[in-house]
Amino acid sequence: VPERDAQLADLVDLGARRGAAYADARRVEREFEAVSVRDGEVESVTRSSDRGIGFRVIHRGAWGFAATDRRGETSLRTVVDEAFARAEAAASTRTAPVALAAVAPQRGEYRTTLERDPFAVPVPERIALLRAADANLKGPHAVSRRGSVAAYRTRKHLVTSEGTDVQQEIVESGAGVSVTAVKAGAKPAQRYDGRLTRQAGWEFIEYLDLARRAARYRDDVEAMLDAPLAAERPTTLVFTPEFLALLVHESCGHPTEADRVLEYEVAFAGTTFMWPKDRGTLRYGSEHVSMTADATVPGGMGTFGWDDDGVPAMRTKLIDRGTFVGYLTSRETAAALGVPVAIGSARAEGWQHFPIVRMVNVSLDPGAQSYDALLQGVDDGLLLEAPASYSLDDKRQNFHFSTQSARVIRRGVLEGYARGVSFQSLTPAFWGRCDGVADDWELHGFLSCAKGEPLQLMRVGHGAAHARFRDVPIEVRA
Amino acid sequence: VTVLGRDAMLAPLQDALRDAKADEAELWVHRRRSAISRYAKNEIHQNAVADETLVQARTVVGSAVGIANANSLDPADLRRLVADACAAARESAPNADWPGLAEPAPASEPNAYDAETARADAASQADAIKRITAAVKVRGFRAAGTHQIELTEDALANTKGASAYAPSTLAYLRALVTSDTGTGWAEDLGWSTRSLDPSDVAARAIEKAALDRDRTQLPPGDYEAVFEELAVAEVLRFMSLTGLSGQTLKDGRSFMAGRFGEQVTGPRFSLWDDALDARTLAVPFDVEGTPKQRVALVEGGVAKGVVHDRQSARWFDTRSTGHAADPRRYSVGGHAGNLTMAAATRSANSSSVRRDAACSSRASITRTHRTPSARR
Repeated sequence: VPERDAQLADLVDLGARRGAAYADARRVEREFEAVSVRDGEVESVTRSSDRGIGFRVIHRGAWGFAATDRRGETSLRTVVDEAFARAEAAASTRTAPVALAAVAPQRGEYRTTLERDPFAVPVPERIALLRAADANLKGPHAVSRRGSVAAYRTRKHLVTSEGTDVQQEIVESGAGVSVTAVKAGAKPAQRYDGRLTRQAGWEFIEYLDLARRAARYRDDVEAMLDAPLAAERPTTLVFTPEFLALLVHESCGHPTEADRVLEYEVAFAGTTFMWPKDRGTLRYGSEHVSMTADATVPGGMGTFGWDDDGVPAMRTKLIDRGTFVGYLTSRETAAALGVPVAIGSARAEGWQHFPIVRMVNVSLDPGAQSYDALLQGVDDGLLLEAPASYSLDDKRQNFHFSTQSARVIRRGVLEGYARGVSFQSLTPAFWGRCDGVADDWELHGFLSCAKGEPLQLMRVGHGAAHARFRDVPIEVRA
Repeated sequence: VTVLGRDAMLAPLQDALRDAKADEAELWVHRRRSAISRYAKNEIHQNAVADETLVQARTVVGSAVGIANANSLDPADLRRLVADACAAARESAPNADWPGLAEPAPASEPNAYDAETARADAASQADAIKRITAAVKVRGFRAAGTHQIELTEDALANTKGASAYAPSTLAYLRALVTSDTGTGWAEDLGWSTRSLDPSDVAARAIEKAALDRDRTQLPPGDYEAVFEELAVAEVLRFMSLTGLSGQTLKDGRSFMAGRFGEQVTGPRFSLWDDALDARTLAVPFDVEGTPKQRVALVEGGVAKGVVHDRQSARWFDTRSTGHAADPRRYSVGGHAGNLTMAAATRSANSSSVRRDAACSSRASITRTHRTPSARR
């Protein structure tokens, strides 16, 4: 954790002296290292870093924000001037002042618990791991094989005019393997996973067992090349936690973002179908479906000590046994909706970004039965293993997903593969078909949830277990 | 607002390259000042400005390539960055197809910079938004959108003596107008604030919102459809990612792979990439320092070519077309980011659909969801 930063306190003091109702200064330093291997050869070794300061004020009832990566007194004074100028310009359009929901001043430090710093792992060791995985990706029809490992470190220091002074050091590790197989007369098959990330050290990369995963992906694509088309009819679908992580992200995480309710994203990311009048009454899913936003999950990509409003990590229910009950909020959006701060979700990708409402770790709560018991309840159905292409409407009410790999389930047993499977649904109708969630909950991490202008790519976490859905109409395309 | 200028941008790069312990080395800088005012329900809710710098060092040891990025032009930081890239190169495997860095070559003069736009302030952005919201309120509608001003400076230097510099500006204004029954979208984009007309943006968005009423649910089926410009642009953007680069050709994924000289689309479709067209937004050289060229992609429906960076040009034994792109966003092989599609007249297209409507259904698609605007 970096040393205390008097410069930030000076900026905030200057903001307060110039009449800001609120001011905060945030210094962020980021590091990134990645190694990738393509078809057995090292494709690239990349390192990047950046650092800068973002300064935010509420002045004359409006937000103003300015950020710079330039150092020196002049640059910092300019940042203050520009934040005030932008607040004044915004104020000239407003009818009501920005208000912030109350949060007690925070002090302290947070840092990721690591067993082994991923930046300290020698590059040859990383390459050896990727080459071992690559060897297992080789199959008779594999035409393209890739693998990569990455390490991320973010140091943040936030000081606010309300007395908050918090520092954080967050380290994340990620990996991915992919394979594409091509065979004459067959549709190409692809298996990949870009969501193998966690707030953890190199121990997470070892836990992933990339070599074993690569062998499974190789077997999947070879089998998918020769798989028969699925039958187009309503059927029972079982989803892997990996697939559900994305479904939870798109169909629950995004529509519960409070800034969408306030139309802040209407001209870019979209709005929602879950309005304040619906809280406590909207039937979002079946009684088996509960979803929780939790910034305290160990290892979560949406885990932190404090968000960028200085709100300490919390957890709150979004869906309770099928009923919509809560939102992801910032201090501003909580105040605008007239609700207390039940979760702090104001996050910025970097020093140069204004914090906006982002997911933390938004997860499907686990059920009580085992995955085997869940499968036993399927006489004739499909296991969808990983998402391929997908699309959603701007309210997150209507979606369409296709799958990389689908397994056939007969009398509770997995039997071979089927291809061409996709499905389209309204969100409540889909989750309403859920009749069981297993107890094998696991955590997934996304690196690049895209939202906001300028576009901000955010790390978020999603936990899920296998879950079963009845009578889902599927589409089949050759 | 500070424009560093050619000498201040290039001198520290050339100094840092003198110390490079590599066979070849290159430094590329993208310096950006971005001012964004976002508004919703007729009020600005987010008003931000950021000054940021990206410096990328690419070094070659033998034929192994290393890349490192940072965000400082401080001489000591630049030297450290080059050393980091050299370390990365030494850890990488040789690239048997390494084409070498770009040789010096003259690029066209920058044509997308406007000093007045670079100086636009927060008050002027708020004034443009207020012109939109005033027009919208008269109709009892509400507006949301974005007003963005960007000033960028790109500079590149390498150990072969290539150097290039270009400033550029961008001005963008969007309105999404919401009525009780529907929405209307309009936007202006150019390299000067003079190309933004808030009143016209408001009028177009209001007109669309007023027309958006009595919506009906269309059953699945085949329809004759007119795609408006923004919807076409989104289709072209995906076409660019999946079929217009040397990498997609090498992978066999391009719709033109193995089909050059053949009819690959309808005969009315012609497409080219031209960063030098004064109507587009671009700097006149790519991130390798190669001058950008106009590239015919499809002419009259016939496959003509793809864009290349130096690596893909090597794969296909040709010359780079100046389409190397920011490696943080695009893979090796070039990226066509300044596409132009040949136009017939708008009324001719609509008439065609009306004629066809006698025997089929029809639809007008104004834009796809979450259509990003054209960018460099």
